[in-house]
Amino acid sequence: MNFPFGILSISGRWFLDFLAYLGELGTLASELVESIKLGAVRGRLMLQQIVTIGYGSQAVVIVTGAFTGAVFTAQSYFKFKDFGIESSVGGIVSVSLFRELGPVLAGLMVTGRVGASMAAEIGTMKVSEQIDALRVMGAHPVDYLVLPRFLAMIISMPLLISECIAFGLAASFIVGTGIFNIPYAWYWKHVVDHTALEDVSFSMIKGFVFGILIVLISCHQGLTANHGAVGVGLGTTRAVVYSSLSLLICNFFLTFLLNYFFPLGSAL
Amino acid sequence: MATLSHEDPFIRITGLKKSFGDQKTLQGVDLDIYHGETLVLIGPSGEGKSVLLKHIIGLLNPDDGKVELEGTDLSHMKERELLKMRRRMGYLFQNAALFDSLTVAQNVAFPLLEAGIRNPADISKRVQEALELVDLGEHQDKMPVNLSGGMRKRVGIARAIIGKPDCVLYDEPTAGLDPIVTDVIDLMIQRLQKRFQVTSIVITHDMGSVFKIADRVAMLKNGVIYFIGTPDELKQSPDPEIQNFIAGHSGMCA
Repeated sequence: MNFPFGILSISGRWFLDFLAYLGELGTLASELVESIKLGAVRGRLMLQQIVTIGYGSQAVVIVTGAFTGAVFTAQSYFKFKDFGIESSVGGIVSVSLFRELGPVLAGLMVTGRVGASMAAEIGTMKVSEQIDALRVMGAHPVDYLVLPRFLAMIISMPLLISECIAFGLAASFIVGTGIFNIPYAWYWKHVVDHTALEDVSFSMIKGFVFGILIVLISCHQGLTANHGAVGVGLGTTRAVVYSSLSLLICNFFLTFLLNYFFPLGSAL
Repeated sequence: MATLSHEDPFIRITGLKKSFGDQKTLQGVDLDIYHGETLVLIGPSGEGKSVLLKHIIGLLNPDDGKVELEGTDLSHMKERELLKMRRRMGYLFQNAALFDSLTVAQNVAFPLLEAGIRNPADISKRVQEALELVDLGEHQDKMPVNLSGGMRKRVGIARAIIGKPDCVLYDEPTAGLDPIVTDVIDLMIQRLQKRFQVTSIVITHDMGSVFKIADRVAMLKNGVIYFIGTPDELKQSPDPEIQNFIAGHSGMCA
């Protein structure tokens, strides 16, 4: 095949595969909506998933939030000091944690921990015919597997993001006031002055969207796994890679969209 | 043996075709299965016996043709409509497909919970009965990973029959089991048919089981029903292919 046609053919096939993938995700989303409409909620399974997703992710989210807040405070302080505005570190750390770092880092941590586990668990069920067994016994796989995970995720995600931000701010406060000797009062004044309810909404909306992305992508990879253990491994890897990339790309567009509704600086 | 009524088939399969990529697995299967009979499906490995069984319960959609359950076409039903129809059937998977995260008792109780039965005493009694039927009454609290292959199969059978289905589909219920357990499972399939008039479709390669439990035998070969008849007709068939299959002669020399 000639050079330009070969490239065109490969990119065309890639584009068609991408469209087909989006179509499959859309189908899964519509089945999830149907499942919600039917009220097919299984409380016990949802609680189990809240424990897995919410309780199980505590350590990673807390450590991520705390150390990111601490490091970001240190880096900001080193630069701000040159301009003599080191006392406003609290404000910039707070806004960054609420608007970007909290939701994105918590989302990435949950993707790595929970998304991978969802894809692996559902994928193993798929290749060992356990999902066919569900269908044979009259249970819809979306009702039984996806809906409890979705509900648990949208309940857990805002709490995990809040924790990530809270521990980030706490660590920032300790580093800012304890190591760099920024006065407590100044530090908190900047945090309070620069943080508004809109910033909280920003993080919660992002968390909600990221939660949906992680559940849909990871469950889809599990439900479509095949070719035994190799297929499950591939599905798990894809779940983490696709969820992480889509989360970062989606975050870019969400930032612009949400900034239109909740412009930065509205708190000032 | 069941008394066969050839008036209204319970399941009617007409012109069923299914391909996977270039591989044409089913190439026009026509088969009627009657109320209360035990139909045994035999044939060389890889000829699509399991694929046919999965079409009967709606796990696969045909490329062409249809599967009717008491006159209702299952082939183009939506998944949620199929779920209700499937509750009339039980299915034993080749590898039992037990849920790893649930105990034996929870696995067996699953179809009852899905059917909306919530009374714990009733569920517990029925689980106990089903497990005793397969001689596993004392293993209720074990996890599937701690069971042998034969025990897993028997738990699978208990799960397939606990909902008192009209029809049970068995995908190689005795494969890899010792002769005694094989006999137990064969007797259980017969017992279910006699006691509850359950229609059974059994895939097996064990010719001993075929002659013990079958009312009729269907042989699937080259994607079509190559032979259908009673076990006696199978035994007396002049077709060398069938005789070689029964006797297990490959025609190869050492």
